[in-house]
Amino acid sequence: MYIKRLTILCLVFALLVSVGCGKEKKRRYQAQFLTLFDTVTTIVGYSESEEEFTRLAELIRGELERYHELYDIYNDYEGVNNIKTINDSAGKAPVEVDEAVISLLTFAKEQYRATGGKVNVAMGSVLSVWHDYREAGIEDPENAELPPPKLLRQAAEHIDINDMIIDTGASTVYLNDPLMRLDVGAVAKGYAVRRLAEYLNNMGVDSLLISVGGNVAAIGGKPAGGYDKITDWNIGVQNPDKESPRSELMTLAVSDRSVVSSGIYERYYTVGGKYYHHIIDPATLMPSTNFTAVTVICPDSGAADALSTAIFNMSLEEGRGIIESVPDTEALWILNDGTIEYSDGFKTPVSVRDGN
Amino acid sequence: MKFAKKTDMLIIASIVLFCVVFWLVYRGVYAKPGKYAEIYHNSQQVKKVELQSGSEYVFSVPQSPEVVFRVYSDGSIAFLSSDCPDKVCIRAGRLSRAGQYAACLPNRLYIKIVSGDGDPGEADIIIG
Repeated sequence: MYIKRLTILCLVFALLVSVGCGKEKKRRYQAQFLTLFDTVTTIVGYSESEEEFTRLAELIRGELERYHELYDIYNDYEGVNNIKTINDSAGKAPVEVDEAVISLLTFAKEQYRATGGKVNVAMGSVLSVWHDYREAGIEDPENAELPPPKLLRQAAEHIDINDMIIDTGASTVYLNDPLMRLDVGAVAKGYAVRRLAEYLNNMGVDSLLISVGGNVAAIGGKPAGGYDKITDWNIGVQNPDKESPRSELMTLAVSDRSVVSSGIYERYYTVGGKYYHHIIDPATLMPSTNFTAVTVICPDSGAADALSTAIFNMSLEEGRGIIESVPDTEALWILNDGTIEYSDGFKTPVSVRDGN
Repeated sequence: MKFAKKTDMLIIASIVLFCVVFWLVYRGVYAKPGKYAEIYHNSQQVKKVELQSGSEYVFSVPQSPEVVFRVYSDGSIAFLSSDCPDKVCIRAGRLSRAGQYAACLPNRLYIKIVSGDGDPGEADIIIG
């Protein structure tokens, strides 16, 4: 009798142990690439093995590398016609380019119209003036200078986006102004992430977090604790005020959404004690000073990227108008005094927790 | 007859005790609590430092000796100096929370903060 009871006890114990270990636990993996889009690319995913995750990460790196080459404005690649090729042929001849370039520039033109010209990929001439003065000012802070207004105005005579002629049938792009230059910095990363997310969705990937320099796409949700229960991904929004002890302002919990921030965080230089960052308002040709950062959340990473630049260059009221007009799109604005403003429906797609 | 004898209770109690002790030992050995900074060069992890309050020091990694990292006593880490042209790495400031990262692209260096206990509520990535 005693033995029998002990046996049952042992069996129950064994059962408990085996139930606990019965399920294959997915583990969290993370990969970084530093060679794409002049920024940091991060992939976070849950996988049953490191090999499986590494295979997916390498596939993603290959896809992004293609876009990195096609959307590059500074470098040539053998056998590739990219944005730089289009710029180099400005006023000379149309350039035949990949469909991925045609669709990026078509998308950029749509965003130009939708935002009243606040995102303009044709203002490369102006951005390159700022780029040169910024690089020189970082190199030699004592002698840092602002670009002369005359130089900016001259450059601004060559930023009419209608001079960017896209021929979808022939798959060519022609700049009908020899001094026009394209700069796709405000849209290319987000648009590449959007295409990548579509590609991964078609492959059947249902849970992954991708960030290309802060252009975040959350595919599905994440398996909490490695089991089948799916929860939202947590996206921390950094405090633009680096001196503050509160390093994050909040955490956004999202699934199947893109999150993109535009802000003054790191790319800036100082002239006479004043900060001049890299987001240039096409209307004033100067860095916009309304906010320290803005964040846009919507299903499409391309739109999120373009809209974040656009509303950074607008007043709060104008920005609200744009955001309310686009479905499933929410935004937050961080004002210079640290106050945070939210779009009306902000709480609907995401939950917000206080950072600390 | 009673359901459980005194010896049965003893066995159950010892099993429970065994479980608790084993679980604590397991946690102590495998699940490392606390925060760490992982340093990567060309996507290879080259160093891992614990971020604990109290210790303050600087270091570099042999793969890129011109770049100096600093660990602060409040449990944060930062790029202190670098020979890169844009200094974006230094401007990233101090990192202390799991999910934060900073990079020096010209030197192919990357810091990320990880936590040993893997709280599911912590940020998967921090942007800005």
